[in-house]
Amino acid sequence: MTIVNERKLTIARAMAEAMAQEMRIDPAVFVMGEDIAQLGGVFGNTRGLVDEFGKDRVRDTPISETGFISAAVGAAMDGMRPVVELMFVDFFGVCFDAIYNLMAKNIYFSGGHVTVPMVLMTSTGGGYSDAGQHSQCLYGSFAHLPGMKVVSPSNAYDAKGLMTAAIRDNSPVIFMFHKGLQGMGWLGTEAAANVHVPEDAYEVEIGKAAIAREGSDVTIVSIAMGVHHALKAAKVLEAEGISTEVVDLRSLVPLDRDTVRASVRKTGRLIVVDEDYHSYGVSGEIIATVCEAGDITLKAPPRRIAYPDVPIAYAHGMEQFCLPNPEKVAAAAREICRTAVPA
Amino acid sequence: MQPSKATLGWMYHNMVTSRKFETIIEKIYMEGKSPVFNMANGPIPGEMHLSNGQEPVAVGVCAHLKPEDIVTATHRPHHQAIAKGVDLNRMAAEIFGKATGLSGGRGGHMHLFDPAVNFACAGIIAQGMGPAVGAALSRKMQGKPGVAVAFIGEGAANQGAFHEAMNLAAVWKLPFICVIEDNAWGISVAKSAATPVKRNDVRAAAYGIPGHYVEGNDPWKIYDVAGQAIARARAGEGPTLIEVETYRLAGHFMGDAEGYRPKGEKDALFAKDPIPLMRKRLEADGTFTAAELTKMEAEAEVKVAAAIKFAREGAAPKPEDALTAVFA
Amino acid sequence: MTTDIRIPEDLYDGDEESVITAWLASDGATVKEGALIAEIMTAKVQNEMTAPASGKLTILKQQDEVVAKGTVIGQIT
Repeated sequence: MTIVNERKLTIARAMAEAMAQEMRIDPAVFVMGEDIAQLGGVFGNTRGLVDEFGKDRVRDTPISETGFISAAVGAAMDGMRPVVELMFVDFFGVCFDAIYNLMAKNIYFSGGHVTVPMVLMTSTGGGYSDAGQHSQCLYGSFAHLPGMKVVSPSNAYDAKGLMTAAIRDNSPVIFMFHKGLQGMGWLGTEAAANVHVPEDAYEVEIGKAAIAREGSDVTIVSIAMGVHHALKAAKVLEAEGISTEVVDLRSLVPLDRDTVRASVRKTGRLIVVDEDYHSYGVSGEIIATVCEAGDITLKAPPRRIAYPDVPIAYAHGMEQFCLPNPEKVAAAAREICRTAVPA
Repeated sequence: MQPSKATLGWMYHNMVTSRKFETIIEKIYMEGKSPVFNMANGPIPGEMHLSNGQEPVAVGVCAHLKPEDIVTATHRPHHQAIAKGVDLNRMAAEIFGKATGLSGGRGGHMHLFDPAVNFACAGIIAQGMGPAVGAALSRKMQGKPGVAVAFIGEGAANQGAFHEAMNLAAVWKLPFICVIEDNAWGISVAKSAATPVKRNDVRAAAYGIPGHYVEGNDPWKIYDVAGQAIARARAGEGPTLIEVETYRLAGHFMGDAEGYRPKGEKDALFAKDPIPLMRKRLEADGTFTAAELTKMEAEAEVKVAAAIKFAREGAAPKPEDALTAVFA
Repeated sequence: MTTDIRIPEDLYDGDEESVITAWLASDGATVKEGALIAEIMTAKVQNEMTAPASGKLTILKQQDEVVAKGTVIGQIT
């Protein structure tokens, strides 16, 4: 498909563009976090904002996550629309009360009479030896607790649309961006994440999954980096005669259970790729969603390719041994496609 | 409190060891990362936070410490680990992610643990405060000797854990010292933009404890102030807060282009490099001869080279060992 | 008329090699003069390159390829 005036963006640029466009039309939107002003964010997602909007609306904070994230909650309740950055999702431990007990619950505690229109953006993901406190995904930890929407894009088009939707949402949204997909060359490159992004503002609906690839033999469900592992596996499997459908969740909360169920109803086989820890998380939730449907017949037991329940090791070989990758996904697909119902 | 000649020799030797270590680590870190700077590549992958310029703080404090004393450090730990007496071979091997490393490759450069000398470090800002206070509590409860020192950066003084740990140490009168390395930058944010007071020593008043600010990255001055604080702690008189002006000669992490630093700032700092300054003073006041100092430097060179050799020669851990050592 | 997309001498300090970390348009796409077209990384710094002309883009050097100042990484016709 030829796009006139094709304009690819990296996810980092797409995020910054969404914020800039919303800040131009709504003076209540402001951004704060560590190193997000002059530096443009350690991961490039606030590039150019302080130059256009100034230091009052694009604020570097001290290293005080509890302070500025709980401040964002208060500001949001008072009519502002803050976009706050938690530099690494792993840092949530120092400030989680402000997130799960305040940001996520104040709408409910007020019976819906106050809104908390804030976005908490945070980096996730490993694979480059940043060890156990800088490499986690923690999807399950955030998705499990009620009151916050959770999104994570696999590509720049979804990144801009989800960020726009998140800023316009009157509920709090956790926007998780995977470091390996940002387009920062020093964290590796994933070309498939850089896609055409329309110049105009647009929203991608929060709570709707996308079919990244259609297929008929097996469904692979994932989010963010896992989607790319699935797509790479799908290419290999195609040559082997296995037709793979890849579901890009895009949102964890709300979770698009209908799309997941429809896909597995069609293929009868399910693999979940989850870079977060194996137990008590996204992979279990997807499998439970399918199993409890009652009208889905599985041709094989569901499989999950997830990080084992161990802290993330520093040594390259150890970390790579644990991480999901296209080879593990393809191997699982071959295995469960071989356990076919006899003709 | 003035350091003895032997102590000065120890301090100089450790500063040089530290710097030589950082210099070779910096070089090896870049292996495999050129021309494409992908952090995942090379014999030392991931992030790297070097302590060049901050050596005086480590030696000025650790000169007073014994193996039984506790030190917690940060994501920029090498100089403190060396000064505390961490096994340099196994530390290097850990940085290389080898099975022969302190944690068998599981921790890496930000998570160095050496129980033999009660040293640990971690990667969340201000995270070392609470555990150091807890170690001090443990010694007090057990009636065992020992003081605990938490090294943090000036940015960490704005983190909640700092306040809570300081308060706890003060209200329970624990043998704890907080040493803040003020290198003026929290990644790209200047201290003046993040902290409403010029110096964090004034915050000691909030806890009813003594606070000191040491200027000029001077090993002698740091030795003096730290010595008094550690003596207080050993005597059961409670905690002290010390902030030390120091210089971060490297970027925040390897690969940091430091575009946020004002022009000329780095050059001015290099002119104040504490190692040649210390050497000059030791020679000028006759404490050591040039030959003696050169000998110390040569010994440091040998030690560092041996550690790097040990690290390079170590075997990589078995990948499946990623699943072990989760529980005791 | 063919316009070379050449890595300019003043894109970054020094003479070290660099790498294309992102093409911001596809091979065969139509691009506008002045539009952001590629990101080139040296050490850990990302530099931007814009399209020197309007027209159809032909990519000569792929993402992740190592390049240098003066390298022609693509053309616009």
